[in-house]
Amino acid sequence: MTSANARRFNIGGAIITIITVIAAVLWAFPIYWGIVSSFKLEDEVVRPYIELWPETPTLRHYWFALTQTQIGSWYLNSVATALGVTVLTVSTSLLVGYAISQLRFPGRRPLWWLILASFMVPTQVLIINHFVLIANMGLLNTWAGIILPQLIHPVVIIVYKQFFDQVPREFREAAVMDNASEFRILTKVYIPMNWGVTTALSIVTFIWAWNAFLWPFLAVTRTEMMTITVGITQVSDAFGVYYARQLASAVLAGFPVALAYLLFQRRVTQAITLSAGIKG
Amino acid sequence: MIRNARKDTLIAYVLIAPFVAIYGLIFVYPTIDMFILSFQDAPLITFGPQTPEWTGLDNYTRLPDDRRFGTAFWNTAYFVLLTVVPGTLVALAIAMGITRLSGRLQALVLALFFLPYILPVSVVYRIWDWTLNFQFGIAMHLFDVLGIDRVPIFKTSTWFMPAVAFVTIWWTCGFSILLFLAGLRAIPTEIYEAAELDNAGRWTVFRKLTWPLLWPITALVLTIQLILQLKIFDQVYLFSIGGRPNDNLVMVYYIYQRAFQNDDGGRAAAIAVVLFLIVIVVSVLNFQLLRLAERKT
Amino acid sequence: MKHLMGMALGATLATAAQAQETVVWWDFLSGGDGVRMKSLIEDFNAAHEGEITIDATTLEWGVPFYTKVQTSVAVGEAPDIMTYHASRIPLAVSQGVLQPITDADWEQMGLSQDDFAEATWNAVTVDGEQYAVPLDTHPIVLYYNRDLLEEAGRLNEDGTPMGLDSREGFEETLAALKDAGVEYPLASVTADGNFMYRTIYSLMGQQDGELLTDGEFLAGDNAEKLQNALSVLQEWTNNEWQSTYTDYPATVALFTSGEAGMMINGVWEVPTMKDLADEGRLFDWGAVELPIIFDHASTYADSHAFAIPANNGVDEGTAKRDAVLEVISWISENSLFWATAGHIPANSGVTASEEYSQMEPNATYSSLTENMIFDPQSEFSGVAGPMFDVMSTYFVPTLNGEMDPAEAVEEIQYELNDM
Repeated sequence: MTSANARRFNIGGAIITIITVIAAVLWAFPIYWGIVSSFKLEDEVVRPYIELWPETPTLRHYWFALTQTQIGSWYLNSVATALGVTVLTVSTSLLVGYAISQLRFPGRRPLWWLILASFMVPTQVLIINHFVLIANMGLLNTWAGIILPQLIHPVVIIVYKQFFDQVPREFREAAVMDNASEFRILTKVYIPMNWGVTTALSIVTFIWAWNAFLWPFLAVTRTEMMTITVGITQVSDAFGVYYARQLASAVLAGFPVALAYLLFQRRVTQAITLSAGIKG
Repeated sequence: MIRNARKDTLIAYVLIAPFVAIYGLIFVYPTIDMFILSFQDAPLITFGPQTPEWTGLDNYTRLPDDRRFGTAFWNTAYFVLLTVVPGTLVALAIAMGITRLSGRLQALVLALFFLPYILPVSVVYRIWDWTLNFQFGIAMHLFDVLGIDRVPIFKTSTWFMPAVAFVTIWWTCGFSILLFLAGLRAIPTEIYEAAELDNAGRWTVFRKLTWPLLWPITALVLTIQLILQLKIFDQVYLFSIGGRPNDNLVMVYYIYQRAFQNDDGGRAAAIAVVLFLIVIVVSVLNFQLLRLAERKT
Repeated sequence: MKHLMGMALGATLATAAQAQETVVWWDFLSGGDGVRMKSLIEDFNAAHEGEITIDATTLEWGVPFYTKVQTSVAVGEAPDIMTYHASRIPLAVSQGVLQPITDADWEQMGLSQDDFAEATWNAVTVDGEQYAVPLDTHPIVLYYNRDLLEEAGRLNEDGTPMGLDSREGFEETLAALKDAGVEYPLASVTADGNFMYRTIYSLMGQQDGELLTDGEFLAGDNAEKLQNALSVLQEWTNNEWQSTYTDYPATVALFTSGEAGMMINGVWEVPTMKDLADEGRLFDWGAVELPIIFDHASTYADSHAFAIPANNGVDEGTAKRDAVLEVISWISENSLFWATAGHIPANSGVTASEEYSQMEPNATYSSLTENMIFDPQSEFSGVAGPMFDVMSTYFVPTLNGEMDPAEAVEEIQYELNDM
């Protein structure tokens, strides 16, 4: 390689790096702007010029959101339903993934087709029938009612099946020789070998459930049963100028998932690539 | 020692039982119910023992003359056009930029690009509604400085869909970026070293090497995006609050409007069936096309 | 007799007292009036400590509110009491969303037909039965900034804007404000057709126009009258006299921040102005009846009423019902305070009081009660009802200059008669 060429590469590369970094900062700027506005007084946010930092930082909007609204109940509902969706989805998917991967039984193929088919069916088209079903079961405005229709996540099953397929046959054969029960094989061999996958899948399922909007929006009519994602858009306790206050409750709604991501960044990345069928 | 097949079967059935019960209840049954409802004139919730009326294909035959259905259909198509390919290209460009970085800087830059993806849609809505607010948004102050006329972005039908598409790309791009990064990492570095020795330019390397090697990922991203964006509702609903929802209708929004605002379950179900079929046809077509493309390369 | 009734009432209240009742309340009062209602609710709770507690929630006004009510009634999860627009009652009754207020209920509340104006009473009556208890009447008015009008030389000696008696006069005021450097002479909620409906319907009323004549929408020359109304407003937009694509909060903010000279909005924003003025953060402001643009004065008005949702277990004879009736009757009696929210109380005992006649700015616009028009009584009417929905869809493009008024009227006529 000629030195002129190398220099061209490096200068070009440096420019691309700089552009990438600047783009990243601009990309995240609206989030910063939303957060910083929530610490300003209402008169300040509507000033006709740009202030990148609050003149008089205030916590009053957060204080209001936490004490004057139902945000506490919404947090609880969000945590309970997102946990419920996560535990139920991951555990049932794990069992099915295991059965399909390791056991031979009549109906295995149709079951696998059903799972692949549910990949294609948009759950959004089922909202009417989900609503009628959940209403007839008397589960509207309950955690169970919010959780149930969110349990269609075929991706999780597929990922588990792939991972169980990869476990070398010797492990299984050895266990069978030891006369270990199927349950023991699953809990002592297959699950521990795939702890990483389980954690990763649990974290993203939790984030998806926390962020779910359409179904929780339909399934709840009583404000105290709303999840935080829905609640902050449906209930208004405001008058006059209230932009900063709305932003404060938005920050509160986004905070737990943002924190979960920052803590488990590597796992989230892994789960996302897995969910698309790419082995990370 | 070989276990008998019957025992295996029994165990398998125990393991899949919870899943089958859940899927039967919330997937198979509602899907069948949707088809049945679409041939009836029924309110969303029927009080008492009153039986819904069978109306044959009525709910379907009135769709072609239904203006709102037309609006919803074309808006959805427009939205797909605005998000799928542009979103994929943006994600690819960002991934190309990130993959050059290393260490802490890479982790930081990736986090900044990925952060929007993990936020709830209502938070995304609040942030952008504020940023692009016609009277007080920071973007409008920027427009003023640059001498551009302010645009009431979410209130005009010209700008609504493009703006929601833009916000959607901003929001969901992180997912595609991760897939592209995984794909780029899987390309052996020797290939690039060989290209460098050949003195190939940056663009040539991309066109001749990276793009073809990345094609399976690109196709995957396009597929995921296509199916996802056909089902758009949340963003359109939220950004239409206090604006003009009837001009911004998309398919799922129209299902919601018919069912929950007009209490017209039958007609809503017919629209749902149409969207259901569209998604299936598009997925199958897409799948076949990708297979074809794979065979050619 | 009255004494006996009082005893009966006392007795029912006593039983209510034994088991503390919580009344679940929904409203959509998120304007300046919401703050007044919140303090009324607090007063109520304080006065009924240990007996009745109101558990109140304010939901998003309009379509979101009424969609939630509809589904929650359908599944038996409705609140115990809610605010409701009188204009929408025929629609609500046809959907089976409301419980009738029975004679026994009226008696228990100590209220009757005599306590309300005839139009208000009729607005809550369908087929001889009442479905809600009117709380107020709320017209729209013209808010104005005296400082800016003075600068523009368009302020009368008595502190009201000049040119309220004709289209030419009012447009002169708008033009003068523009010339004086006011960015938006008039702030209107041009991004949301639901709000513009009220202005446009008022302008139709000024020409004696009707929306619904013997079951036909925009019959005869009514279509033309609608077109006239739309044309005037579109012209204001074209002349840059009116704020475009402005949503509700922004409209209020434009006016209160002094960027707009005048604003057409409901009386419910009166407390917003009052509170800001009390804190010394507002200019010299006022509110008057809408200007006469066509033949004579006419203003759209609606009523807030209390309604009991169907299918929620608040049946007659239950302690819950007693508690709900006590809530309604107490708030109705104390609605003088509600008048500070700008509204005209429905309870005629309150409006006849000396205190009310002294109240500002209500006194300034009280003259308009004679010129109020209401929605046609039909199951297509009402806030977030089918008629609102169709019309508002075309108002937004028309008022912002995207669509020709004639075309809009044609589309509206087609869609309305297609329902």
